Amino acid sequence: MRTVGRALVCVLFVVATAPGTLLGQAQRALPNRSGSVKFAAIGDNGTGEQPQYEIADQMSGLHKVFPFDLVIMLGDNMYGGQQPADFVKKFEMPYAALLSAGVKFQASLGNHDRDENVLYKPFNMNGQRYYSYTRNNVRFFALDSTRMDDKQVAWIDTSLARATEDWKICYFHHPLYSNADRHGASVDLRVRLEPIFVKHGVDVVFSGHDHVYERLKPQKGIYYFVSGAAGQLRRGNMSPAEQTAAYFDQDQSFMVVEIAGSEMYFEAVSRTGRIVDAGTITRQAKAAAAGSPPPEPAGSRR
Amino acid sequence: MPDKDGQVGTSPKRRGLRHHARSTLPRLLRFAIEQLLLLPLGVIIALAWVNAAPESYYRFTFSIAFLVNDVGIAFFFALITKEVVEATIPNGVLHPLRRALLPVVASLGATAVPALLHVRIVESLDEPMLTIGWRVALASDLAIGFFFARIIFGRHPAVPFLLLLGIACNALGFVMVALFDPAHDIRLVNGVLMLVAALAIAAVLRRQRVRSFWPYVLIAGVASWVGMYWSGVHPALALVPIIPFLPHAARDPGFFVDARPGARDALSQFELWWRYPAQVALFFFGLVNAGVPMGALEPGTWGLPLALLVGRPLGLFAGAGLGLALGFHLPHRVGWRELTIIGFVAAMGLSVGLFFAAAILPPGQLRSELSMGVLLSLAGAPLAFIGAWLMGIGRFSNERQQR
Repeated sequence: MRTVGRALVCVLFVVATAPGTLLGQAQRALPNRSGSVKFAAIGDNGTGEQPQYEIADQMSGLHKVFPFDLVIMLGDNMYGGQQPADFVKKFEMPYAALLSAGVKFQASLGNHDRDENVLYKPFNMNGQRYYSYTRNNVRFFALDSTRMDDKQVAWIDTSLARATEDWKICYFHHPLYSNADRHGASVDLRVRLEPIFVKHGVDVVFSGHDHVYERLKPQKGIYYFVSGAAGQLRRGNMSPAEQTAAYFDQDQSFMVVEIAGSEMYFEAVSRTGRIVDAGTITRQAKAAAAGSPPPEPAGSRR
Repeated sequence: MPDKDGQVGTSPKRRGLRHHARSTLPRLLRFAIEQLLLLPLGVIIALAWVNAAPESYYRFTFSIAFLVNDVGIAFFFALITKEVVEATIPNGVLHPLRRALLPVVASLGATAVPALLHVRIVESLDEPMLTIGWRVALASDLAIGFFFARIIFGRHPAVPFLLLLGIACNALGFVMVALFDPAHDIRLVNGVLMLVAALAIAAVLRRQRVRSFWPYVLIAGVASWVGMYWSGVHPALALVPIIPFLPHAARDPGFFVDARPGARDALSQFELWWRYPAQVALFFFGLVNAGVPMGALEPGTWGLPLALLVGRPLGLFAGAGLGLALGFHLPHRVGWRELTIIGFVAAMGLSVGLFFAAAILPPGQLRSELSMGVLLSLAGAPLAFIGAWLMGIGRFSNERQQR
């Protein structure tokens, strides 16, 4: 009996440490405080297929115990047909529970989206390819990384300079850092945007495009997340590098985040509801942050 | 400034060496060396560099992009304009102008069909944002097209037909890019006034019989550049409206035929002075605009080359058919088989295609996909050779082989 038990433990250990999975289930990180900023992040979601619906179900279930009122969309919100019926099938039906609960979706565009989707009311883009809004002490900046023209670069530079909120969070489709094989980092964007982000003290950046979950170690003081698997999935596509803090490429996933004061708590949740990564980021005065490495969040592999 | 022999800025010894080297090379090979090597070299270096060390590639190319794309390449387009201007004078392919009517009508089909096809293909490949690339489907590289057409056809009426078609396609492309993709925030009134001033200056210089090209370039050209920049028209085209004012020779030496070293007219002097600097600009143009990271490519990349390689010959048939229906005539010895080959050759859009892609999109995934599509359109050359071989036309014709 003892031998069987040991074998079972060995099997569980092998499964848990297999490539593409995390070392054990991460601990729940969200304190769920009243008055905090709570939001979810989904990328590359608009397939209209079963996995998207299952992720949406997980989001709805989580919303009952963790009442986030905002979902940031990291692009490729719609794949394939983009007729009114497609918006029903690929957006309104899967997220019906969240929409009816008053959760606001704030989209950014990906390379599979259409320009005119900025006019789709539930995406709350007000006809703009890039825009900004606030929640308490957090300012969000949604960018169009598919066409990062000079005008948009000037806009983000000016808007970040004017932002007075404690937290500055940018999100857009193409990741500045990524270690997935299919696409990887968009270095051209990084060369243009990173100096601006660093100059103006951006705290966190969310992107999609690669159909995996990856958390990067802070790069020049900025935390980067790739969360592009809320509908699509490229299983086993990650080639984790030194800069990878955690990753998950075995199933669809999404993120939930809570910001309270100078702390940002995050979880990455799989299609089956498993927490595949979790942790806390402490926002530090940028001058101090340069000399002291940020705390390593719980649940990290490295 | 030119010396007493009409040569510009070279010593007699160097001039002699150059003349010796040039006279010993066959003309077409010389053309390839002088017109076709540096741009592909820049493209190859860009592709290797961006995929090996992307960060340093982007830092370097972003720092020189304005100088190359908005200033340097203006001299390349000026030289192309010079060829077109000379083509309108006696002995030129555009003289008299009615010779160009059928190719101009044919260009409507040869541009519309690939543009529509591109839109349909990228839609079906689920990359709707790439539909913006239909402007790039209008481009045709004149130099590379001329080179391959001359190899396949030799001295055949199909070659001037191809050149006229290419000029018309590119002209339509430039108009579309100017209309649909203003370069930045426009100051239209100031821009138009400045452009008018530039043209007036050029006209006065011409009227005063100024025989040096420098005042045209430095005064009228700079004013035109500023006017276009303010108008939202791509300033790389700044010299295009100025070049026609330069005094030129009485007869056209031929398309892509070098000006004689002793030529005294301003247009020929301009060519002699700017021929090599423009090629250097083309090298940097390839380096700056053809750096395509392989990770950026999606299936939509295939949209442009497929649209060009299928749509250009088909569109050419349709356009030529329209021209014939309107009462125009195809040149002697040009039939549907020759049109097929011309269509494949004209599908290659290297320099102008890369320019259109850079003009309508900022650096990023979409431009990378379009740029790679432009490079893949070079498959038009082998397709043209295979087609000519299968159909036995040009250098593969029985008549020619028996000789």
